[in-house]
Amino acid sequence: MSGFWILVRKDLHAEFRKPEAVISMAFFGFLLLVILNLAIPMGAEISPETGAGILWVAITFSSVLGLARTMSREKENCCMDGLLLSPMSAESLFGAKMAVNFTLMLMAELSIIPLFFILYGDTFFHSLPMLVLVVFLANIGFAATGTLFSAITAGTNRNEALLPLLFYPVVIPLISITVKVTAMIFQGAGPVEYSSWLYVMTAYGLIFSGLGFLLLDQVIRE
Amino acid sequence: MADFLAVNNLGKEYEGRRALHKVSFGLQQGDFLSLFGPNGAGKSTLLRIISTLTSAGSGKVEIKGFDLAEEPEAFKMQLGVISHQSLLYGHMTARENLIFYGSLYKVDDPEQRAEELLRIVELYPRRHSRVSRFSRGMCQRLSIARALVNDPSLLLLDEPFSGLDQYASAILTEQLGELRSRARTVIMVTHSLDRGLAAATRVGILAGGRLVYLEERDTIDPSAFEGLYMEYVHGARAA
Repeated sequence: MSGFWILVRKDLHAEFRKPEAVISMAFFGFLLLVILNLAIPMGAEISPETGAGILWVAITFSSVLGLARTMSREKENCCMDGLLLSPMSAESLFGAKMAVNFTLMLMAELSIIPLFFILYGDTFFHSLPMLVLVVFLANIGFAATGTLFSAITAGTNRNEALLPLLFYPVVIPLISITVKVTAMIFQGAGPVEYSSWLYVMTAYGLIFSGLGFLLLDQVIRE
Repeated sequence: MADFLAVNNLGKEYEGRRALHKVSFGLQQGDFLSLFGPNGAGKSTLLRIISTLTSAGSGKVEIKGFDLAEEPEAFKMQLGVISHQSLLYGHMTARENLIFYGSLYKVDDPEQRAEELLRIVELYPRRHSRVSRFSRGMCQRLSIARALVNDPSLLLLDEPFSGLDQYASAILTEQLGELRSRARTVIMVTHSLDRGLAAATRVGILAGGRLVYLEERDTIDPSAFEGLYMEYVHGARAA
């Protein structure tokens, strides 16, 4: 088994044993959806743009809780040094942490998205198949950027406070494209109309994954 | 004969301050180098560079001909490190920690190796306990097992006896003897002159980032070594 799979298995095993990250992400997402729902009058229908905004506010704000956790777990007893001493490459380390972040986000979204449909009406439900594709592409971008920035902040004393300050400005382009595409999907637009945005989301994910693979070793070694 | 470990002109600066300057030495297989020096002499920096945790500013390190900069993965397969930190996951059991590290080092049968090491450090009865519930002494014993999981050819020890209880010290001393009998190479950084001299085949003094003294242990008179050590450290400070 490669270092990538060994680390993924170790992190997911730790999360299943004590699901702190997923529970806090899902619960925070729940809270945001419920609080934002209070602003909408009873029985009123929300526009696709508002719906898309609400959904991605809940997902992006909750995701940062998990992103900080995966790297900070390695701070305990300097376990990051243990990983760096091992023959595992920095690329495998980045890939494994990104895969774990992707999985944790997906698990939290499996509870956030159904609640969104319950609270904000089933008029958006027809868009679920394409929404899955958007969530997949957005998760790659968030997981890549989040893994890189959580590695940068993991060496600081206040990493969980610092991560959002660095992470959100960088993912604003991805968030705005994701909200735009989701709104188009909710409006019932065909894939041809938003396919160019999907390419941009894919490019964002690839660029930050590439940056992570290239820079992680420099970021964590000193 | 080519050196098992070759350190050539190693240098490192931190924010303009010279931590290491042109450090060179070679070790043969089975050598045990005890490295002494005052605080801030660059001992830990030297070990961090050899262990790949810090990059060298200049110079190079080779082990069995593998260049640290060019073949880090092959280099790391040969290494074991005991540092001030245990490098153990508190949420995992003792057995899980050793299996995890054994798997990373591609040990043939990590489960069997973990159980073998747990017996050596006398933690086998507690193998299913989480490390977060271990006492400091138990963590230290498990940390020794972790460093040996890949049966390293080169073991780096940074103040390994500091804070160890009597029991863990005895286990570590026994394991170091066992490693020597199997011609493993060891570099030990320590402040304890007695313990360092007792274990070493070679003795070095690092002061002001320079390796100011390196001799065979057989040529050293232990009773005169403390004076010699102070002389070298003061000499380096004056320079």
